[in-house]
This record gives sequence, C-alpha cells and structure tokens, in this order.
Amino acid sequence: MTDLAVAVEGLTKVFPIPFRKRSIVAVRDLNLQVEAGEVYGLLGPNGSGKSTTLKIILGLISPTRGRTQIFGRDSSEVATRQSVGFLPENPYFYKFLTGTETLRFFGKLCGLRGWDLKDRVQELLDLVSLTDARNQRLSTYSKGMLQRIGLAQALINEPALLVLDEPTAGVDPAGSRDIRNLIVDLKTRGVTVLLSSHLLEQVQEICDRVGILAKGELVREGPLDELIAIEDRTEIVLENASGKLLKEIEKLAAKSKAKVIERRTSTTTLERLFLDATTEKAPSEPRE
Amino acid sequence: MSANDQTASKYRAFSPARIFAIATNTLTELTRQKVFYVLLIFALVLIGSSVFMARFTFQQEFQILKDISLGAMSIFSSLLAVVATARLISQDVEDRTIYTILAKPVPRFEYVLGKLAGVFLLLAISIAVMAMLFVAVLYFSEQTVLSQTAHEMSRAPQEQRNDALNSVRAAGLNVEVFAGVAVIFLKACLLAALTLLVSTFATTNVFTIAVMAFVYLIGHLQATAREYWLQQPGANWAARGFLAVIALIFPDLQAFNLVDAIVAGAVIPLAIFTETALLGIFYVVIYTLAAIFVFYGKEL
Repeated sequence: MTDLAVAVEGLTKVFPIPFRKRSIVAVRDLNLQVEAGEVYGLLGPNGSGKSTTLKIILGLISPTRGRTQIFGRDSSEVATRQSVGFLPENPYFYKFLTGTETLRFFGKLCGLRGWDLKDRVQELLDLVSLTDARNQRLSTYSKGMLQRIGLAQALINEPALLVLDEPTAGVDPAGSRDIRNLIVDLKTRGVTVLLSSHLLEQVQEICDRVGILAKGELVREGPLDELIAIEDRTEIVLENASGKLLKEIEKLAAKSKAKVIERRTSTTTLERLFLDATTEKAPSEPRE
Repeated sequence: MSANDQTASKYRAFSPARIFAIATNTLTELTRQKVFYVLLIFALVLIGSSVFMARFTFQQEFQILKDISLGAMSIFSSLLAVVATARLISQDVEDRTIYTILAKPVPRFEYVLGKLAGVFLLLAISIAVMAMLFVAVLYFSEQTVLSQTAHEMSRAPQEQRNDALNSVRAAGLNVEVFAGVAVIFLKACLLAALTLLVSTFATTNVFTIAVMAFVYLIGHLQATAREYWLQQPGANWAARGFLAVIALIFPDLQAFNLVDAIVAGAVIPLAIFTETALLGIFYVVIYTLAAIFVFYGKEL
C-alpha cells in the first residue's frame, strides 16, 4: 500500500441534516487507489460525491467510516499535507493581496523562507504566466487568472501529489489548454495528479485512469483506453484516399465478413477551431 | 528517499513561523479593509474635547480629558475587537480560502491562533496609536498648565509654588494612565477571543455580533446583579453556583473598568492591576482553548 499515492478503503460519508431525522449519504463504501506518477480523473455529475471525497482525502472533513491514506500515511495527519498541493473548485483567495503576496503567504505556510521563497514565487509566476500581473491585487484578476494563481499556490511546496477540484471550471479554452499542458508536464516530472471534473473531453486527453462516481458510489473504474474502447470495432484514418480505394476497402471488408459502419470526412474539434481562430496572427500588411 | 520520508523529515508539529504568517496576513487583511478609520474618529473626539475643555480648571480639564479619552479608547477598541474578529473565520469558509490554507501543513490550532494573534496585533497597534495621541494631548495640556502656574506664582514663596506645581503634576499624566491603557487592551483581547469562539459555531456574522452585544451588556451588568443577589437574605449555594457559571460564561467586564478610579485620581495598587491582568489572561486562554476545541470538530 505504501507505493500508492492515494488509497481509499471503504469510505462512507454521511451528512446529518440538522433538526431532521434524515441524513445525506454523500459517499458510500468507496474504494479507490491512485498509483504514484499517474493522472487519475474522478468523474461524476454534480452532487456525486467528488468534492467530498477529495476533502476527506485532504483531511478537511472526517469520514463517517473507512480510511484514506496519502503515500501510506493516514491522511488525517497534518504532516501528509507537506507533500500535497490542492486547488479547490472556483477558488477565491484574499482579494486584498497581490499575486506575489499570495504566493509568499502560502509559501511561508509550507516552511519556505528567504531566497528559496523568493525564487520559488518568481518561478511559479513565470510558469503560470502571471509575471506581468504579479503586483496587481487579486480583486482585479479575471477568473482564468485566479485559477492560474490557484494552481501556482498548489505547486508552491513542489508537491508529490496534486489534487485539483474542477481545475478548468469557468476558464476559457486557451486557459483550459494551458492548464492541461501543465498537468501533462507535471506528470512527466513524476507528480501524481488526482483531479475531479465533469468536462469529459478534457479528462480524456490527460488521464491515465478514471473512476466514475454516481450518487456517492464508484460505478466504473480503470485505464481510460480500456474503458472507452469498443472491442469489436477498429478505426483507420486515411489521408488523400481516392474514392476507388475506399470502395476496394469496403469490398475487402465484406469479403472477410466485416462491415463498414461509418465513413465520414475527418473533422477538427470545436476547441481546436476556436484556438486557431483566436490565436491567429494579424496580417502583416493591410489588404487593398 | 520516498515522498513519505521527506514528509516526515520536513514537517514540524508546531511552528511559530506559520502562526506569524497567518497573523501578519490577518493584520494586512484588516488594515486594508480600512478599520483604522476608527482611529480617525477617536482623534477627532479627542481634539474636539480638548478644545471644549479650555473653559475648565486644570483639574477638571485633566479629569474630563482622561474620562473621554480612556472611555473612547475602551469603547472603540471593544468595537474593533468584535467587528474585526466576527467575520475572520466565516469569511474564509465562505470564500473557501480556508481549504487552501488547511490543505497546507497547517494544524487547525495554528490557524485559530494565527487569526487571533492578527487581531491582537491590530488591537495593540490601534490602542498604542490612540494612547500616544491621548498621552501627547495630556502631556502638552499639563505642560501648558505648569508654565501658567509657574508664571502666576512667580512671586509666591518657593514651598507654596512647588505645592501648586505638584498638584498639577498629580492631576496630569501619571503611571495610572498607562495601567488603564493596558487593562483596556486586555479587555479588547478578551472580547476578541470570545468573539472568535462564538464565530466558530455561529452561522452568520450578524449572529456573532448580536451575541457579543448581549455578552457585552451582561458582562457589564453581572457584577452589580451578583452583589445585589448575594446580599439578599435567601442567597444559598444554588444561587452562588448559578452566579459562578454565569461569571465563567459571561466575562465580568466591569472588573476591567479602572477608568473611573483613574479619572477620580485614585492610585491603582499593583496588586489590583496584577489581579485584573491575570483575570484577563485567564479569560483569553479559556476562550481560545474553547475556540480551538470547537474548530477541530467543525466540518468545512
């Protein structure tokens, strides 16, 4: 169990409703394992128990039953958070602080001092492209900028485990792409990432494994490729294929009792189209 | 070295530096919210009152100056303590800032201590500024009266003149004034600690402030009520027990009122000052421990 970044065993969380006899079961008998170095996506609709699970893993709320561990230690121990970074959903930071002051504050909480702190703050401001806005108060930041400063504070202590709750919620496609690229980059550096999201297409691009929560229960889990693969179907993508060639392929398929189900022109994604359109360079010379 | 080993080697269960980081951040938060405007009001009250006092004798002038200044200092610092503390934790929970802080290696008791220390710093700075202003006005008034008296009695015998000057000095700035300021600070700290305790289980800031207004009222009345009940012929052990519980829950704020004695020109014995200071520290410790206890059980 010590080789795991996160281990959740038989986790149940019940929230009693004050002054009523009823209670809400937010998470029910959840078992989950995140291996060190992987990107794990916790998926599910709103109210499925994703955020509650993450909060229990981080020791912010206590479980009704079961246990959670981070790198082999009970996650209720404050010491485990020395190696964890967390970005909550729609984070609001102290609006009266500037970007630099925010990172310095969180750095001090993690034990950073002096030049180490100064260098780390500068490095992170560069990483999340907020160097120019470093002396602005957070009250003037856009939602995307707040998300990026949030990500920077989560990375201040060079965590071995990064927990992200809806990291791209409310961020425009370009910002969202930057965050995804950053997650991929962190993975190559050996950082384990546990993220929750309901933006499935984005999760599909970056996660090694996913778990799907519904009404507090884990209903599916496994490597992404295996989960979404349709076993008896194969896709071939061709470039510059003539009509004659396509007809021959269909004939060959029919001969071997296979069936061509769909034939269509390849398309780009709407996101790619958006990014290409919004990052296009302006023409160098005016048109006549 | 595994991540687990690194965690074990780096982490310290108690870190004054973390508490200090939260305290200074809280102070920054409160000052940037312009709570120091309270000081401006105090300055205006003080300057206004000193202009108004020009018509009185010097004893009356000094008495009124002390009465208004120490009274205003007590009310403003109490108000500042309650209003500044009431929203500290609830705002962090509402804005989810608390998640990012407690997801760092910060034990909950350090968070509570840091927040409270931040308010104490604010109170210390505010009261120090108000006290400096008050002492300056009192000092210059005293110097003016001293020079006037010396001038008026220039032809009087030496002994008579010294008596007159000493009576001015006795009515002016003395060590009792500083003892009074210290007790005002302790009272404000006590109110801040109690407000923090109430805010750990309150659902809204309005509720916290309403409870504290009630506590403030009871705290000032309970000593009088206690004396009245205990003097009744039927006062038994049950009444005494009930009064003891009330005294623990609601601080006896009247015990921190040394202003009347100072204004009357009484000497505050060291024993009384020490007793009052220890009572204040006792309340602050009890309320802080209770706040930490409640906060540990709080679901965020």
